[in-house]
Amino acid sequence: MKSSPLYLAVAGALLTTPAIQAAPPADWSAVPATEITLFYPGVSAMEWITKGTEHGGARALRKGETCADCHSDEAADMGKKMASGQKLEPSPIANKAPFIESRVQAAHDGQNLYLRFSWQQPAASGAAPMDAKNPVKLAYMLEAGSQVELAEQGGCWASCHGDARSMPGAADSKTKYVKNGSLAGGVYYDLNQWRSGENKTYDGHIAEERVMEGGTALKGASGAQNGGTWSVVFTRAFAGGPGDVTLEPGKVYNFGFAIHDDHASGRYHHVSLGYQLGIDAEAGIIAKRQ
Amino acid sequence: MKDPDVRQSALKRLLAFLRRPSAHYSLGVLLLAGFAVGVIFWGGFNTVVEATNTETFCLSCHEMRDNVYPEYQQTIHYTNRTGVRATCPDCHVPREWTHKMVRKVQASRELWGKLVGSIDTPEKFEAKRLQLARNEWARMKANDSRECRNCHSLESMNAASQKQRARKQHEMAREDNMTCIDCHKGIAHKKPQGMTEEDEE
Repeated sequence: MKSSPLYLAVAGALLTTPAIQAAPPADWSAVPATEITLFYPGVSAMEWITKGTEHGGARALRKGETCADCHSDEAADMGKKMASGQKLEPSPIANKAPFIESRVQAAHDGQNLYLRFSWQQPAASGAAPMDAKNPVKLAYMLEAGSQVELAEQGGCWASCHGDARSMPGAADSKTKYVKNGSLAGGVYYDLNQWRSGENKTYDGHIAEERVMEGGTALKGASGAQNGGTWSVVFTRAFAGGPGDVTLEPGKVYNFGFAIHDDHASGRYHHVSLGYQLGIDAEAGIIAKRQ
Repeated sequence: MKDPDVRQSALKRLLAFLRRPSAHYSLGVLLLAGFAVGVIFWGGFNTVVEATNTETFCLSCHEMRDNVYPEYQQTIHYTNRTGVRATCPDCHVPREWTHKMVRKVQASRELWGKLVGSIDTPEKFEAKRLQLARNEWARMKANDSRECRNCHSLESMNAASQKQRARKQHEMAREDNMTCIDCHKGIAHKKPQGMTEEDEE
């Protein structure tokens, strides 16, 4: 029994199948894409956004509307206003790209989530690099159960505060954080990032502060630029450890992402409004089983 | 020094004249004349009142010309695609006669302010801006943005022609029975510093 050819064949097939499956879709063109405009956000922190005398949308947020409900059509225009310094930007960077049109594709195979982000590389601003090592960084955040206040409505925006580093007058040591953040209490964002220069991924979380490492769900990411088009693919296991949101088919997660373009760091990124990512479930971005 | 007796008798003479029945003119002629004088008087009164309801009149005070007018010139009520405009009286003076008269009487206090120069420098104006704005916001809330609704009708808004954000906000305004000024503070003049949560709606 132990070494009969049939036994060996079946055992071999069972043992090697998971390894063959654990790869992103070979043909991404078959996977539907969601077009999302990332825009330059200036100094629009949560404190400003939730202040009714500054932002007419604060009332809508209190009523449960999402940011995208009002703003999805005008993301590019908002980026233009802020990048030019017309609104909410005390120190505009000359020639900073106001927005980046991007496409997001998602798929899964029951064990891993595969996310592909693609966009056209905008013209360089000519400004001095803030992050000399990495021309481009891409990060996304996942949140489960809407424990983080306003995550369901604003994606990762709830991590952005007026006293976080690179905001005017902020201490350089203070990272992004979440109100009432608590890893143990389930009030956190799962953060996955890829850096182009280092060609490395970071799997962390944001609760009371941002921790760049410690997550185990992110298996890796590969990114490359072809002509002017970037394509970055993340492979993330459904489950990890503390600080990793557990993904399950049929469920929907709060989602947002950002690109640090042009050697940017801190707040000088281009960000998305809040969206939902569904694993075989109806949402703005749907990951279907391949 | 005038003789007090002479002055008194002049008044008495006038009263006597008015009380005496007409010797030369018929009742009809007197009525017609009275009617004509009344029309002239009423027309004159209204012409003068309406003259104070013009942008030109408002701008004759430098307090308005130098502070709120330049701000208004940057807005859509001053210049836009169709050239349909709202000038100072369109928003700040009621159209209906009774409301207009009430407002005019209230506004006479501004003559006193002009006399004593309560806002006659940019610094004094900025110091009082929040209070002045709140006065107008309160007046507009109390009359359900009546002056806005002289031209704009929430019910007749064509949602399909509006941008996404405007469409959503007006939907919510209808749902929650809001009034124009709740959200459209700063539509024609800069919003003041120091607004609080109570000013939000």
